[in-house]
Amino acid sequence: MWTFLRRRIISSAVPLVVVILGVFALARLTGNPASLYLPLNATQQMRDDFAARNGLDDPLWLQMANYIGGVFRLDFGTSLRTGEDAATMALRAFPATLQLAGVTMLLAIVLAVLVGSWAALKPNGIADRISSFISMAAASVPDFWLAIVGIFVFAITLGWLPTSGVASGASWILPIATLLLRPFGVLVQIVRGAMVSSLSEPYIKLARSKGASESRVVFRHALRNAAAPALTVAGDLAVGLINGAVVVESIFGWPGIGKLMIDSILQRDFAVLQAAVLVTAISIFTLNIVIDLLYALLDARVRPAGTMRKRRVNVSVPA
Amino acid sequence: MSSSPLSRTPRGSRIVAVAATGAALALILSGCGVANSSTGGGGAAGDTLRIVLPQEPPTLEPCEGSLTATGIVTRSNITEPLVERNPTSGELEPLLATEWEATGETEWTFTLREGVTFSDGSPFTADSAAFAIDRAVNSDLGCNVEGYVFGDDDLVVSAVDDTTLTVQTVRPDPILPLRLSFVEIVPESTSTSEKVREPIGTGPYAIASWDTGTKLTLDRNADYWGEAPSYAAAEYQWRSEGTVRAAMVTSGEADVAVGLGPDDGAGELGVDYANNETVALRLSGDIAPLDDIRVRQAVNYAIDREGILGSLFTEETKPAAQLIPTGVVGFNDDLETWEFDLDAAKALVDEARADGVPVDTEITLVARNAQFPKVTEMAQVLQEELAQAGLNVKLTMVDTTQHLQHQLRPFVTDQGPIALLIMHGNQAGDAQFTVDQYMRTDGAQSAFGTAEFDEILAAAGEQSDEERATAYEEVFAYQNEEIVQFATIAHMVGEIGLATTVDYTPDAATGDEIRLSDFVRVD
Amino acid sequence: MSPYQPDPQLPPGGRAVAPPSTEAISITRIESAPDKKISLFRLLLRDRFATVAAVVLVLVVLTAIFGPVLMGALATKQDLSATNRPPFSLADGWQFVLGSDSLGRSMLARLVVATRTTLSVAVPAVVVSLVVGSLWGVWAGYHRGLRETISMRIGDVIMSFPSLLLAVVVLYIFNPSIANIVLILAITRIPIYLRTARAESAELQSRTFVDAARTFGTAPSAIIRRHVIPVVLPTLLTLATLEFCYVMLAESSLSFLGIGIQPPDVSWGLMVAQGRQYLQSAWWLALFPGLAIVITTVAANVLAAWLRIATDPAQRWRLTLPRKRLIVRMPPKEVK
Repeated sequence: MWTFLRRRIISSAVPLVVVILGVFALARLTGNPASLYLPLNATQQMRDDFAARNGLDDPLWLQMANYIGGVFRLDFGTSLRTGEDAATMALRAFPATLQLAGVTMLLAIVLAVLVGSWAALKPNGIADRISSFISMAAASVPDFWLAIVGIFVFAITLGWLPTSGVASGASWILPIATLLLRPFGVLVQIVRGAMVSSLSEPYIKLARSKGASESRVVFRHALRNAAAPALTVAGDLAVGLINGAVVVESIFGWPGIGKLMIDSILQRDFAVLQAAVLVTAISIFTLNIVIDLLYALLDARVRPAGTMRKRRVNVSVPA
Repeated sequence: MSSSPLSRTPRGSRIVAVAATGAALALILSGCGVANSSTGGGGAAGDTLRIVLPQEPPTLEPCEGSLTATGIVTRSNITEPLVERNPTSGELEPLLATEWEATGETEWTFTLREGVTFSDGSPFTADSAAFAIDRAVNSDLGCNVEGYVFGDDDLVVSAVDDTTLTVQTVRPDPILPLRLSFVEIVPESTSTSEKVREPIGTGPYAIASWDTGTKLTLDRNADYWGEAPSYAAAEYQWRSEGTVRAAMVTSGEADVAVGLGPDDGAGELGVDYANNETVALRLSGDIAPLDDIRVRQAVNYAIDREGILGSLFTEETKPAAQLIPTGVVGFNDDLETWEFDLDAAKALVDEARADGVPVDTEITLVARNAQFPKVTEMAQVLQEELAQAGLNVKLTMVDTTQHLQHQLRPFVTDQGPIALLIMHGNQAGDAQFTVDQYMRTDGAQSAFGTAEFDEILAAAGEQSDEERATAYEEVFAYQNEEIVQFATIAHMVGEIGLATTVDYTPDAATGDEIRLSDFVRVD
Repeated sequence: MSPYQPDPQLPPGGRAVAPPSTEAISITRIESAPDKKISLFRLLLRDRFATVAAVVLVLVVLTAIFGPVLMGALATKQDLSATNRPPFSLADGWQFVLGSDSLGRSMLARLVVATRTTLSVAVPAVVVSLVVGSLWGVWAGYHRGLRETISMRIGDVIMSFPSLLLAVVVLYIFNPSIANIVLILAITRIPIYLRTARAESAELQSRTFVDAARTFGTAPSAIIRRHVIPVVLPTLLTLATLEFCYVMLAESSLSFLGIGIQPPDVSWGLMVAQGRQYLQSAWWLALFPGLAIVITTVAANVLAAWLRIATDPAQRWRLTLPRKRLIVRMPPKEVK
């Protein structure tokens, strides 16, 4: 496993660099941000001074080289907007998003497994139809609409929950509920489909005829084989959550990295944008490595070489 | 004995997987609080004024006080200027300076208040004032205040004694005290090489804690020289959605919600007030067909101001005839708004066409997303109305950076004639701030001008008192008759949400500074 | 030896193209011999839900094609005296049956015109990312080794790229247009198909039938075409319909952030984003386009779920059974 890890980490380094440099170049294609930070009647001289002060008038390759040099010294630049260190801002905002995304995905997976398996027991039965319908509808609603309606119904009209913010435990409920629906809806479909396939296999029949209880059949046997495709999709959804919780963070005032990223994009705050992308990219790559490991654990056939220690079970050991 | 395929995965690695999941969960839920925030309230609940803003202040550096997002927290709360403009009367009132007078063509002398200390205990003297002004206006920090209020000119500031300060300008400047009302005074210990995020000042409040991303708390300054304000502390939060801000006030989570729109749902708790913003279309009068004054007049006739305002905005929103609202020196009471006359508009366009003006050239109407509530709707109506007059108008919605490229010199020159929807707020209270920007031939936001007009503008800037007001009133009349660079549309109205426990009357400056000492707790 | 030995000829999942050997197929032989030639259309009609879904989708497509021609002018006709009229009343004319928006335009007409924009963003985006991602993933999974690693890393790069940044950049450098939004949405979703297709394709490499084909000297492209793709296709189609839904929602999120379809163009997502300010005063502005999104995506998903079973030879028998007995398990006594 360590060989695998080592190999993956090394092979993830190049894409990481590509992402950072890509963001670097693309961000600067959006133009000189001087006008956003200087007063409206700033002279051309002031704009040029601004550009010089922030190194924006150097050619692109030079800016990139400076940036990479800075990275090696662990200096990721300062925010044009607030003057703070960019890395500090990104690292401060990231855990909030991670918490939100983590809890949401866990809940989504658990609920989806339960509902999907239950639906798969009787394909095209009533339970299946209803859960399919509900999960499809849930996955189709625009998240910001849902968030605002949720605030309107639960916070204003009923008064059960706080409208927004991070003040109390109850303030987790609406953001998570909003973020949860789409992964839940998608995963239910995937789990159900995969479970239907694996429940129709002969070894399931065999297990049942051996007298295994239904839950053992479902969870121990069928689910293990259904887990693989579900896992890949769950991983993609988790990545989508990290990058896509922007809307929920905006509406609920959640101090996460999605909001930081969109603000720095709209404000052309390059250093913070790069730091934020770096942090999320590293976490995404880590997540992908973890998923590949889990996938390999679950399904021996796709284990890349070097995943398991070379401990062969010798068939011909004398009994 | 070979192992069964079902149990091929060693139990060990399964335990590892479960343990890893558990560890991840624990890490995520550690403390059961949200990362990047600190729970636990500050100050007695009833005594804290809870305000919700549209965005987090990027910094609290006082020399950026002319930036709305910063100034709304710092101005007259944490830091104070020498003099302050009363938004309703337009008069300058003493604050850290008790008296001031022009002691020469280019010199003003200020007498400073005694017995004032900064919140860190250091005394306020003329040296501190000189230091602060120097730092804001003359240094290399690139302060927003410098550019907005002073331009390229430097000031020569000197402290004559502990309570007397002289300020010399390059040119005669009758409104220097007004300009200085934007410079917030900081102690000499403040850094001159970098901007500071959390400043020290003389104001009624001082920064208690700033949970970046979540909450900003100010505490009452015990050493404040003036009357103690009603609230012991102030808590600022921010939400980008207007409906959420309104919801926080209606559900009791906040006492004040800033920057609401008419449909955000504040209901009875919403208070409308005339902010000092004016919305207008700026026409690129140097590109055909907008270079023909008849076409620009047609644009003005084609806009149904009453209709637009009546259907989209509240009734306090009034049609505008000039770029400044009442209360600003230079406001011309006698100017009438253009009548809505579609026939006249069509006639003018036809006349221009007959003369060979290429009126069928596509004119781009540029508007900024989310610049003010209902901006998209207004832009679409304008496009429709201009099209009815016979012009070929295409609407483009852009974001802030692109809008600024159209708004500021050097403009966008390769897109043909542009009608730019702008919103101008004159927080300074004097027409010169507007007119220099928008009407001079070389004005930073002016598409074109004439040499004649420039002379009139220069002459007006040198007047003071009554003559000044009259001169600027004539400037606006001249603009509407002879230049027609603008189709001014409306004087906007802002809305603020106030809880029933708060007694506060908003004024024209509320959008730019929220003076906490003006809030009184009502039970 | 363990008593359990997976049948080497029947791959798990029952998605066999290999020789049949179990009871499932023999039942088909007994019961459905006359049904063997049943057409796809007949199968569709047997399933009520799928039929309804198909009808809904056909209606949506027809609206997209013919709607703007019929209602285009009505959708841009402003009437400042008739703003925010509530729906469900014919008092102001048939065009206001779904209400009017903040500029007095007919909601019905705007919904109809928006259909074309929405579909012309969602469908091409999904199709492009499906085709490109799947072919690439299958190819990578088949060949394994370096090609697989590089493909997966490129997929990682695309996935970690903030799609918002891409959207902002494309919007400002090039002209904001439907084509550019399609491009962004397509590119950012390719990794989804890539990863899934690769995973399934890699799993198939160890199957005997693929091995057998290789031994017989079949060219890789033929193996991919004849053996791998048919097996991989059902999952990918399910994914594509789910992605169709995601793309429509992503488009509305971009509009919410102000960087999607720009006025005066109109799409369902933009209507929901603009209507969110009026939720308390004019709820119909955001509700009807939102409903349109939900209905279309649910219909697409139902139809796709049906299609998945109908195109899968080993599962198709479920659809041919009499409606009353759609159950997985056959009681053992039926099997001889």
